[in-house]
Amino acid sequence: MTVQITASEGGIPHNTIMAVGLVGSLVCLYLTYANQFLNAEYAAFFGGLAAVFALLWGTDTIKNLCSYGIGTGVPSAGMIAFGTGVIAMLLATKVETIVPFSAPIAAVVFGAIVGAVAGWIANEVMRMNIPVMVRSLTEMAIIGAIVLMGFTAAMAGGFGFDALAAREIAILGPLTTTSYVGSLLGGCLLAVSFMLGSLALQHPFNACLGPGEQQDRTMMLAAECGFLSMIAVAAISFAFIAFPAALLSLIVAIVGWYYTYVRFIELSKRDAFAWLDAKPILEPKGDD
Amino acid sequence: MTAIAAGSGGGEGINPVASAIGIVLILITLAITYFAVPAGLAALVGVIVGGLLIGFGIHFVPVGGAPAAMGQAPGIATGVAMLATGAGLAGLFGGAWAAANPEFSFAVVIAAGAVGGGLMMAITCLMVNIIYIFGMGIPAASGKVAKDPITGDTQEAYKSQGTEGHGLPFISYVGGVIGGLLGGAGGTLIYYELLQVYTATLPGMFGADAAEVLPIAVSLAGIFAVGMFLVNAVLAAYNITGTIEGPHDPKFKRFPRAIIGCATASAVCGLFAILIVMGV
Repeated sequence: MTVQITASEGGIPHNTIMAVGLVGSLVCLYLTYANQFLNAEYAAFFGGLAAVFALLWGTDTIKNLCSYGIGTGVPSAGMIAFGTGVIAMLLATKVETIVPFSAPIAAVVFGAIVGAVAGWIANEVMRMNIPVMVRSLTEMAIIGAIVLMGFTAAMAGGFGFDALAAREIAILGPLTTTSYVGSLLGGCLLAVSFMLGSLALQHPFNACLGPGEQQDRTMMLAAECGFLSMIAVAAISFAFIAFPAALLSLIVAIVGWYYTYVRFIELSKRDAFAWLDAKPILEPKGDD
Repeated sequence: MTAIAAGSGGGEGINPVASAIGIVLILITLAITYFAVPAGLAALVGVIVGGLLIGFGIHFVPVGGAPAAMGQAPGIATGVAMLATGAGLAGLFGGAWAAANPEFSFAVVIAAGAVGGGLMMAITCLMVNIIYIFGMGIPAASGKVAKDPITGDTQEAYKSQGTEGHGLPFISYVGGVIGGLLGGAGGTLIYYELLQVYTATLPGMFGADAAEVLPIAVSLAGIFAVGMFLVNAVLAAYNITGTIEGPHDPKFKRFPRAIIGCATASAVCGLFAILIVMGV
């Protein structure tokens, strides 16, 4: 599908967005470790915020890559981001069980390796010859891994491989049993976060591209999609983490979604007026 | 910053240096697997073959994207990655069902996956042609060849002016089904090989019964297979860059480099997937 893609120029430079996205999401992921020191998983919502930071960064990366007319449509970029990201993320959770507090960094490192290989194959072996290909796919794999890790933290309160694979279920008070089926991996909830994350990553630029694309509007839609996915993740988290903690996640997600949704509609109206060269209809004010 | 001005679409032919580096990368991943997880070596070979089958199979799938939706080009009106993913996942369901039954041999499992993928493509192609022919009132005609390579039907007289053809001519239909068969078989092969590794190692890792950790093994193998399917599908789509009618399309000749690329990508992804059971 070869489509002419027009992307706005100017705005916040991509490197700035990348720095903010990477640092912001890593800080949020590390804040979820606070769960280990609290009596309930109140910090789980930071996982969702980490995913939103990464999705903002990812939307700008897709915009950067797809402005070259890769001929396969915008969603394919989101597909490969999560295809490589899920592999990096799962290996990172395994590293967490060996070296505690290393999973977020490990996800970035593994994502960079898988993404760079995929980007190099696309550019050199497939001869795409796109200057930003290797860099973009490297970023995308890291973003995919971070989003999945963030959603996992929001669902389960942590992201160690053992914690994801096994779940303690209380029977008769102090007695507990280990359930593998009822765990996040056993229930294959990773597939759910995979789809929630990839939809949120693919959609914003695909929806906003074309003439009149504005960076702030596209980014606002990315944040809106991120919070929308976080609502679903927070709903799932009721099955895994303490009720007040899950409720906190849900409230944060709904507040974030409502704010970004209202802002996105405002920006859409602004750009529609600008594109049509029309004037907004001003409602008469006063007590007439 | 417009797409056309930026100019891309890829060069033609094989890049020999990059291909050689790719093959060296495959050998390196095999060596790392041999030393880190010796039991996973056969599985990694299976994963590489699976990725290669997906990459090759995707070139058969007739996709047209937006031009096909407007009836200006033959093919199914969606991106390569979407369609291939649909066929691959349908195949994976069939293969996973067969893999869950211990009475079925390796060949039956792969065949079940292939049939699942092929069936999905056959149904999609049929519905596309019903919409084109009975809904839009246009006959299926190829713009790339004068005669259908299988039936020998002439195409030119049925082709509308100003288009590259439309609908799904017989050869594209057959190509789509072959692509579905290969993609489904490849995806199932990846799933099956990883499932073998996980069912063998996970009980020891968790100190639990095989039946208890089976859901973890199935879930892990499934999500890794989906991830690798997407990587291979998108890389093959990058090779095609846009529309392809099927095996008679000139772009089909690009498949060798997709095979090298997909095998390399699958080797690296497969290495990561197998390293997850390291230290058992």
